[in-house]
Amino acid sequence: MLLVVSYSRAARGTLRNICRTHEEVVVRRFGRVALLAETEFAAFQALRLREKHGGDVQIERTRPFNEYEAVDGSIREAAKAYEDRERPALPYATFAESTGYPDPERMRETDL
Amino acid sequence: MSGRERLVLDLEDGDASRRAVDLRDRGVDPVRVAAAVREGIDAATGADGGGDAGDEGDRRPVVDCRAPRAVHDHVGFVRPSMSVRIRTTLAAAARSRGGETPQDETLAAVREKLAELTVPEPPNLDAPRERLAGTDDAVDRIRERVAALRGRVQAGREAGREVSDLEAELAEATRELGERETERAAAQEAVERAERLARESRDARERRRRLEDRRANLERRARAHLVERIRDAYEDALRAVPGGPDDVAEPFAVDGVTAALALGRVADFRAPVVVACDRFECPRAVAEWLEATVIRV
Repeated sequence: MLLVVSYSRAARGTLRNICRTHEEVVVRRFGRVALLAETEFAAFQALRLREKHGGDVQIERTRPFNEYEAVDGSIREAAKAYEDRERPALPYATFAESTGYPDPERMRETDL
Repeated sequence: MSGRERLVLDLEDGDASRRAVDLRDRGVDPVRVAAAVREGIDAATGADGGGDAGDEGDRRPVVDCRAPRAVHDHVGFVRPSMSVRIRTTLAAAARSRGGETPQDETLAAVREKLAELTVPEPPNLDAPRERLAGTDDAVDRIRERVAALRGRVQAGREAGREVSDLEAELAEATRELGERETERAAAQEAVERAERLARESRDARERRRRLEDRRANLERRARAHLVERIRDAYEDALRAVPGGPDDVAEPFAVDGVTAALALGRVADFRAPVVVACDRFECPRAVAEWLEATVIRV
């Protein structure tokens, strides 16, 4: 999908108008941010917005997140196990140390 | 207006006098008179005033008066079929009377922060992106060629054929692949560098947008406060405007001239009001109503 972020009141206003006029390209709009469908028409609208507002508009392309592809099983299991922990106040670092789940520092340093 | 003398009004003594100047038989353009009040004497007689505009400029009317307050922009020129943003003008009228709001201090601070905020120009992302897109294709193409040549060299060798020409071609292609990959890495790095700069620029833009939102919110609240403060006086004026509505059930939906006259009555003018409508018997009566100096055109 195309992630369109506006960084000024004027750009936000134009983005809002685009979303209102072309509902079919909008997957979701959150205030000054919108997710647009991955079509040439959506890209055209996003580019038009950037043409008008320059640096006040950021366009990124997102891709679906598949946790079975993107991360190791240990990461998925750690998330599940940590959410099931008995002591809510337990920090993850401590939890990982006592249970052998991945170390948070190491996770931070590892790109997907 | 050719041959006519340039109109010069000296109204510097302010509005306390509530003078009424009647220009109806002078054949002046009301718009020009209103502009003369707004621009003041400096603009009309300054170095740029006459020279550039030639003869036309020399005959522009001059009104020597004090600088108009903000409210003057809204109702300083009362003319038929004018339209008035009533709430905005009410707030300006309240300000003209020295009205303050609980938001003023914060508002000033936010405005100052905004004025101080510098937003770095966004880097040119187009050029590095375009360059990267080209290198990607080039790498793919040459990589396919290397793979194809490798296959042919392999097949030739297995078949016992002479492959030295193919080998040379493969070596050349492999060298080119290396070059293209280096080029792509450089292009990739250029994009990443530009992205980093873009992020800094966006951080600043985000700060600016938040401040602007905050300013707009404070301005809205300040305006509401001012409007509330002056609303009763406005409605009283509305009831008394000659030619105004019989009842003021909808004080924000009245015709432009009526609104302007009622708003003008509650405002405190510093500069003369230019009036081009027939609601009052004489210019003197308008001046009394508005408690301001009036130029009737």
